[in-house]
Amino acid sequence: MPHITVLPQGLQVVAQPGESVVDALRRQGWRSRYKCRRGGCGVCKAQLVNGRVRYLQPVAESVLGTTELAAGRCLPCRAVPVTDVVVDLGAEPLRAVLTSNPVSRTTTHE
Amino acid sequence: MSVIRLGYVHVRVTDLAQARQHYQDTLGMDAVHEEDGKVYLKSWDEDDHHSVVLEEGGVGLVKFGYKVAGEGALDAIENRVRAFGAGSERMSKGDNAGVGDGLRITLPSDHVLELYSEIDYLGTKVGKLNPDPWPRDLRGIGVPRINHALITTEDPALLERFFTDVLAFRPAERLVAGDEESDLVGSWMFCGDQPHDVAFVKGPNGKLHHFAYEIDDWSALLRAGDVMSMDDVPIDLGPARHGITRGGTIYFFDPSGNRNEVFSGGYRTGADFRPITWTMDQAARGINYTHREIDQAFLDVVT
Repeated sequence: MPHITVLPQGLQVVAQPGESVVDALRRQGWRSRYKCRRGGCGVCKAQLVNGRVRYLQPVAESVLGTTELAAGRCLPCRAVPVTDVVVDLGAEPLRAVLTSNPVSRTTTHE
Repeated sequence: MSVIRLGYVHVRVTDLAQARQHYQDTLGMDAVHEEDGKVYLKSWDEDDHHSVVLEEGGVGLVKFGYKVAGEGALDAIENRVRAFGAGSERMSKGDNAGVGDGLRITLPSDHVLELYSEIDYLGTKVGKLNPDPWPRDLRGIGVPRINHALITTEDPALLERFFTDVLAFRPAERLVAGDEESDLVGSWMFCGDQPHDVAFVKGPNGKLHHFAYEIDDWSALLRAGDVMSMDDVPIDLGPARHGITRGGTIYFFDPSGNRNEVFSGGYRTGADFRPITWTMDQAARGINYTHREIDQAFLDVVT
């Protein structure tokens, strides 16, 4: 199953088949920057540094355009990793919420 | 007063099947008509043909419609639109399924607003003769009707003047920057005796912040929240009370990321209602009176 590495923290989680980046993080007790979680608002938009993702639902051109896609932008709430991926979620820190797997913290680069 | 109420909201959705599931099974609306990539839906306590149109492709607001009553009302409004310097065109019966001739206005905020007085009558689910208070076969939340829409505009003062001068709406509540009564950030306006039939806040032109369904009361609101949790609907805010309008609220997102609201209560207004003012330092209480916290994204996120 694909590994997701989240920059800048360096946190790593494993995604289940068909699971988006945001959902994989949420399942493992982490909250990232997002709002609608349905690909409509663009709040979660981030840089796909490495790897490939796919979208199981159509994404509006007005939210993530073809030029942005070509420049490596992605919508973590809808992007499902196909390979191991490295995603830069930007400056806003990941928030731990009832983190059930404290091991995932140990990979954090501090 | 010739504008009666918000009649329909027409939104884009990225996936029609998922959107249908949300609006039919979670919210409880009924599909009344379908055509090439569009579904028309109606809530159980609405008389008219439809109140929501879902159109596949993209997200956000296509247009919204307000129902107008009175002989010659549309002509009078058309003249006032022209006098204001805004654009409008006549729309024809059949442009929208079930809706008659009308007037299509491009607002100073670039939104398309349609006015009509004729629309097919389908009737409520409980009928008009010795009716039960609600139908037994409701699905999900079982929303009875839509209530209002909140849009964004670069120039709230201009849009407030348009709704006042052209459509005879009145402001119930106004959010102003600093101490300047004139520096308008948002306005909640009514055409009948609700606290708002339309509202707008400062933001990009042409965008939708949310449209709302009316539900009975606080317990209906909490039950709506239960259904949202069962169906894993992303919640934006609430259940909470608004300072502005005093209504109860949950904001949530449809499967395309369009924001919906269930709204309960709120006070009565009327032609002699004097507007309430909120200052920006108290805006968080105005929107979420219970928690007194809103994050910036609540205002920024629009479709």
